[in-house]
Amino acid sequence: MAEKAILFDATRCIACRACQVACKQWNGLSGESTRNLGTYENPPDLSAQTWVKMRFVESTEGGAPAWTFVRQACMHCTDAACVRVCPTKALAHHELGMVTYDPSECSGCGYCVDFCPFHTPRAGRNLVSGMGKMAKCTMCTSPGLDRIGAGYQPACVKTCPTGALSFADRADLVAEGTARVQALRAQGRANASLYGENELDGLHVLYVLNDSPEAFGLPANPRVPATAMAWKGALQPVGWALGGLAIVGLALNFVIARRAKFSQEAAAKRRK
Amino acid sequence: MTNHWTDIGNADVILIMGSNAAENHPISFHWVTKAMEKGATLIHVDPRFTRTSARANIWAPIRSGTDIAFLGGMIKYIVEDIEKNPQNYNMEYLREYTNAGWLIDAKYGFNDGLFSGYDAASRSYKDKTSWQYQKDAKGIPVQDKTFSDPSCVFQLLKRHYARYDMNTVSRVTGTPQASLLKVYQAFAASGRPDRAGTILYAMGTTQHTVGSQNVRAYSVIQLLLANIGIAGGGINALRGESNVQGATDHALLYQYIPGYLPTPSTAQPTLAKYLEAITPKTSDPRSGNWKQHQPKYMVSMLKAWYGSAATKDNEFAYQLIPKVQAGANYSFIALFEAMEKGTIKGALVWGQNPAVGGPNGNAERKALEKLDWLVDVDLWETETAAFWKRPGADPKTIDTEVFLLPAAASYEKEGSVTNSGRLAQWRYKAIEPPGEAEDDLWIVSHLMDTVRALYAGEGGPNAAAVTKVTWDYGGVPDPSKVAKEINGYDLATGKLVANFLSLKDDGSTSCGNWLFSGSHTESGNMMARRDPKDNSTIGLYSNWAWCWPVNRRIIYNRASVDLNGNPFDPKRPVVKWDAANKKWTGDVIDGFGTTGPTLYPFIMLADGVGHLFGVGGMADGPFPEHYEPWETPARNLLSSTQLNPAAKVWRPQEQGTPDKYPYVGTTYRVTEHWQAGAMTRNLPWLAELMPEMFVEIGEELASAKGIRSGDRVVVESARGQVSAVAVVTKRLMPLTVDGRVTYTVGLPWHYGYMGLIKGDSANLLTPYIGDANTTIPEYKAFLVNVRRA
Amino acid sequence: MEPEVERYRKPTRVLHWVHAGAFSVLFLTGLVLFIPGLGFLAEGGWTRLLHRIAAAAFVIAPAIYVPLNWTATLRGIKDAFNWGREDIGWALAAPRYYFFCDEGAMPPQDHMNTGQKMWWLLVLILSGVFLVTGLVMWLFKTVAPPALLQVMVLLHDVAFIGSAPMLFVHIYLSAIHPLMRPARAGAWSSMARGRVSRSYARSHHARWYARVYGTGEPAREKETEVLSR
Repeated sequence: MAEKAILFDATRCIACRACQVACKQWNGLSGESTRNLGTYENPPDLSAQTWVKMRFVESTEGGAPAWTFVRQACMHCTDAACVRVCPTKALAHHELGMVTYDPSECSGCGYCVDFCPFHTPRAGRNLVSGMGKMAKCTMCTSPGLDRIGAGYQPACVKTCPTGALSFADRADLVAEGTARVQALRAQGRANASLYGENELDGLHVLYVLNDSPEAFGLPANPRVPATAMAWKGALQPVGWALGGLAIVGLALNFVIARRAKFSQEAAAKRRK
Repeated sequence: MTNHWTDIGNADVILIMGSNAAENHPISFHWVTKAMEKGATLIHVDPRFTRTSARANIWAPIRSGTDIAFLGGMIKYIVEDIEKNPQNYNMEYLREYTNAGWLIDAKYGFNDGLFSGYDAASRSYKDKTSWQYQKDAKGIPVQDKTFSDPSCVFQLLKRHYARYDMNTVSRVTGTPQASLLKVYQAFAASGRPDRAGTILYAMGTTQHTVGSQNVRAYSVIQLLLANIGIAGGGINALRGESNVQGATDHALLYQYIPGYLPTPSTAQPTLAKYLEAITPKTSDPRSGNWKQHQPKYMVSMLKAWYGSAATKDNEFAYQLIPKVQAGANYSFIALFEAMEKGTIKGALVWGQNPAVGGPNGNAERKALEKLDWLVDVDLWETETAAFWKRPGADPKTIDTEVFLLPAAASYEKEGSVTNSGRLAQWRYKAIEPPGEAEDDLWIVSHLMDTVRALYAGEGGPNAAAVTKVTWDYGGVPDPSKVAKEINGYDLATGKLVANFLSLKDDGSTSCGNWLFSGSHTESGNMMARRDPKDNSTIGLYSNWAWCWPVNRRIIYNRASVDLNGNPFDPKRPVVKWDAANKKWTGDVIDGFGTTGPTLYPFIMLADGVGHLFGVGGMADGPFPEHYEPWETPARNLLSSTQLNPAAKVWRPQEQGTPDKYPYVGTTYRVTEHWQAGAMTRNLPWLAELMPEMFVEIGEELASAKGIRSGDRVVVESARGQVSAVAVVTKRLMPLTVDGRVTYTVGLPWHYGYMGLIKGDSANLLTPYIGDANTTIPEYKAFLVNVRRA
Repeated sequence: MEPEVERYRKPTRVLHWVHAGAFSVLFLTGLVLFIPGLGFLAEGGWTRLLHRIAAAAFVIAPAIYVPLNWTATLRGIKDAFNWGREDIGWALAAPRYYFFCDEGAMPPQDHMNTGQKMWWLLVLILSGVFLVTGLVMWLFKTVAPPALLQVMVLLHDVAFIGSAPMLFVHIYLSAIHPLMRPARAGAWSSMARGRVSRSYARSHHARWYARVYGTGEPAREKETEVLSR
């Protein structure tokens, strides 16, 4: 099946936050108790109740103010660190390419929270018992709330008034995004970029940016952390090897040692 | 709007001024984005750099309250460019469809901020006779199509705006000259016949003492650029509430009765006098003068109201309907001043929250205390309903009896909603309202039933006005029945009329609002149509719902074609005259059917042409002229008349001065909250987005005051003070006005003392003064001081 | 019945079994996260809850034992870190001893043989790693920088991988290896009942036996004479 993706065009976003509200409405998430910290941005961070938010970045360009709006939510990586480290497979790749998530399978271990290069997943959990669930955007494939399976667009895309968000076959959105970036460059935005085309083997949330990723607060070269590679890639096989070696070695020892003991006892008996 | 929402997508240049469309009309931005995808240029002029500015190709800062200076500069630029490069403009349009070449009375004059005919004692233009055309013997206005006669409007326009050179404009507005030029050039480029420029505006334009003239300035510019009547053009008010267009259409304004007929006053003691006053005359055969039909609309409306009790013999019950005192002001401010004085003893506050949304909040809240009774109809217990227990109030000293009637929300009732594009869309009831809440129709119907019964039993002043009115809506009023009454009937046959062409002034027809005649006919409820097929190339969607008048999507559309009826812009044709078959194709033609292209396009004006010079219609002048806001840090550089000379000053003692209040304060809305906040501050998903009252302060001013983002500050004016969180931002730039640096601070006005999240109301700061024509309060420019709390 | 000698006092044995039980739970609940196919057992967070309970027990048990058994602890530490040339002898003899049950090859061992000393060292080190990494992951998940938490996860797994073979070896040697049997008299009995047979003591920990019992001096450990039936 052709993989799907979301395209976020930062040059069309008006930061109305309808996407934030639509996501909460669809997924039954609650409003948080917030304060105004001197900005329009709220809630201040992603959380178990906030799966998508807009960041507001002020700057100046040529003496005039500039204001950039950046979507922050799960990037649905192809090489997803969270899927690599999830012990229960609560996090897994959907056949359409996004990273889906089944809360009923979550153990609350929080490895996904630790290893995501975008620091997206959030776990609300009890400090004492450790019980809790991770929460993140599932591109509307959550069990029981599966808009994609029903043939609909993700809630955020559906509600976006300006078309800053679109949902379609990933290949088509890569082509569309590339064309828009070229148009931006032709207008003089030399650092315009399509973020997500190749990062982490390709993200399923693509960003049309009219500047470099760093200007938008996005990591220029996101990677699955080396610790995850070391852990799952190197350590795991070593663990199996050592454990296996130990058991095999002990079995071997048992066979040999017991035979040795029996022959000793037999010899002792013969001497008597 | 002269045009409509979808049509914005047709524009080549979009000027958003006096509006923050992306934040307050986000769905509109769907169409702005579509236009920009096709290469349109977006210009945003605003005191702040907002989420709209972030998407604009050109942003220009402006000091709040100086729009006419800015626009006057644009007018001067365009007028000079028309003279230099007429080929870049639609000269045929200017000659044939505007009064550019028409000559004005020799007695007309303008001197140092005052037009001829001013009476200082009454602060009004008592004598507007000089604001008229020179007429020939037949009574037809004299024209000079070469535009060279010194008395012609074009020359008067040029002389009037000669003072608005870019240097002066920049000194008044604070906008850098380079920015002015950029805006002027970009928008004037839409003057070509194959280019369309649209202006989107909202409260930033209207909520000033010169608000109406701000809009008049748009009219002048759009007429010069031939942008009225074409696709992608027009002057488009972004209405501030989903059905406020419907509200004003049905006359919830003091100066109108339904259909924008003027409210009868004591100056028109008889129906004949009233009808004469509302019937403009013209001897020009090319002028459609549609208002000549207003008597039919008025009489039909009286028949709708009083039925068989309205006859030719009793002036169709004209004597029963209330009249306003000639010359008196019944605006919002006036109502509260009357409450304060005890003249008004009771109030029905219906789906409104003056305690938060009204100007001079402390005065309005105090005025409510003087009422004997208050009926508040709303979805929540709002600040107005709870005024008697607001912070600082002592309920024991307040004698007002307050009734709170719970009302249904928009999805809990059936009826029409008329949007900014005049489009009336019928909506259905999705769910039952909670508890005892009822829809407005039910409430007003039962209220009136009870009042009528009391009058019938006890009598009272002008009891007949109440007892004789046709009021047969029954226990469960049916909105369709009301819609049909509004549409109108042929009383002889009992059939619904097709449109207002069928209405008569002899009492044989009834019609609740001529504008909506045609909305619910024998063919059915036109407003309920939902055919998404567009038979035009310009997004008319003429079979989707119904707009007034008579489903004409773009009004003044005769101005989109030349004198032969061929579209000036063949790529975006609105209408076209089919000479062979003697009919028009495209949108519903203005002025109707068989009249060919010789009819003047501006049929609602007696002379039929667009008014560059406003002949007698405005309270404060035929040309927009810059005056400073009532509270201002600057002196008027365009004349020595500091304030709009026709604006009523209600409380001179409350005027703040720059020595105590050095900064310009302005109020506005944000996407996340809705008006006075009851709906949004009670909804957790929205409350979390903007949880507290805040004030936006520029970095330079904040630094000078030792204020950091997140600090609590106090903002004060001559009328009150509010506590707010400081949002220190680059987006409020200091402006150099008349050589001095001027700072603006901005406050959202959504907060109040009730609800899930609370905050101080910005309107505690705003002044009791309004526009000279409408008295809409000057919420957008006043003086404040700011300090750390 | 052969006469017996006491190897481990009751408090020590209690500590051992509590610790063993806790560690087993820790190990198994951790294994669930290690073996991909077993991951589903962690759903809902119950195995993690058990892990935390067991972790608490794992830490609290010695925390209670040590102050109440200060002298024994000190002596144990002395034994455990008493390294000398005889440890090399153990190492040289170990292959023949453990694979071919050649008891003659093994030099006399003290209360704790070299293998047991190595075991102690590893237990202390790995427990320390488990403790620190576990505490950071438990208490500081929301405040520690992700990079630190990643390293904690990695090191926790390293300790796990180190301790798994150790667990297998420990169980094998205490209950299964022919030289440590019979269970009622040998290694198992030492920790289950606290006592081993005198011959076991003499053959496996000859130096300790000679020092405590051989010279007739007052015993540090009580000698229990169980008269033959």
